[in-house]
Amino acid sequence: MQFINNTFFGIFVSVVVYLIGLYLFNRFNNFFLFQPLFVGMILGIFVLWVLEHAMGVSSTLIYDAFWHGGKDNFIGANLLFWFLGPATISFAIPLYKRNDIVKDYWLEILLSLVVGLFISLIIIYYICRALNLSNSEIASLLPQSATTAIALPLSTSIGGIPAITAMTVILNSVIVLAIGDQLVKWLKLDTDPIGIGLGLGTSGHTIGSAKAVKLGSIEGAMASIAVIVVGIVTNIVVPLFARLIGLK
Amino acid sequence: MNKTEKERIIEEEQKDASPVIIQLGIFAAVLFVSNILSLIMPKAFPVPVPVWGLIILYVLLTTHVVKLHQVEKLSGFLIGIIGVFFVPSGIQMYKSLDLIKEDGITLFIAIIASTIVLLVTVTFTTRLFISISRKIRNRRE
Repeated sequence: MQFINNTFFGIFVSVVVYLIGLYLFNRFNNFFLFQPLFVGMILGIFVLWVLEHAMGVSSTLIYDAFWHGGKDNFIGANLLFWFLGPATISFAIPLYKRNDIVKDYWLEILLSLVVGLFISLIIIYYICRALNLSNSEIASLLPQSATTAIALPLSTSIGGIPAITAMTVILNSVIVLAIGDQLVKWLKLDTDPIGIGLGLGTSGHTIGSAKAVKLGSIEGAMASIAVIVVGIVTNIVVPLFARLIGLK
Repeated sequence: MNKTEKERIIEEEQKDASPVIIQLGIFAAVLFVSNILSLIMPKAFPVPVPVWGLIILYVLLTTHVVKLHQVEKLSGFLIGIIGVFFVPSGIQMYKSLDLIKEDGITLFIAIIASTIVLLVTVTFTTRLFISISRKIRNRRE
């Protein structure tokens, strides 16, 4: 136990599994299942799981060692996690570079996000019903278009389980990163960069936006604006929708 | 080559990037102010610290208080390796493994489906609205 109770255990594991993912991704011609983030996540969970069983300690102890370096430390993998903050702020730059699009199309952007989100909520609700999910599970999935800081309190307030919501928001990013742009191309929706950007930003949050930045300047700017606007819109629309379908 | 006014301004602002320490300083200042702002916001209407930061930095850029060359390098770097920053969040799901055990597969399918629904619906709606508005604009001209 002693040797994993230090700050660099979590950081080391996170970086190494990501690098292994990156290697596999390049080795197998960018095959989508070998997306570095996806591989890294699975490998990392596997490493922790193996350690838990090899050392015969509780999963909480292993998790604490990973996340903040055990009971005597405050920093571990959460140091890397912290950098998501400054990285999110960075999206102001792609947004600024193409703010001419925002000036021209702000009404269309706002309308598309509100209407698109509302239609999505209806479809998601019926998918959940079809899959026989419980009310609390449905309530956990509805706030997923917002980022964690908004989605978790929202989930609690409409009777959801925050842990499921947190997992959903994380998986959103991973899924969008893996198949997002392929899917859009495949459905022939890739004619409009504004649409792609807003779609990637709404469904994939900051990770989806990073993908959008790689696709092009308009896509990147639109994903950035989606990250800002969707959080606020979700906070208004989801409670209304939950009341409408009688969740709470 | 015809350059728009916008492109000219961006090029002007991109000249010689500021030292990393200055770029870090600007980021730290923005984060500090965002932290205060998000504390002031009412509980029922949370705006996350990074989103405040995004808005503040954007406003600073549009008002030309902060120039592009003072933040562009650091921001490009951070966006470029954002995948690594996200790995701990992914591994964090280790904590909720027993949560998935019960309804695991169904929940998983629901999450994948709803992600795709969000992506496709928003992209499709936007494309529809933009093409409608372009038609209206063309008619006006």
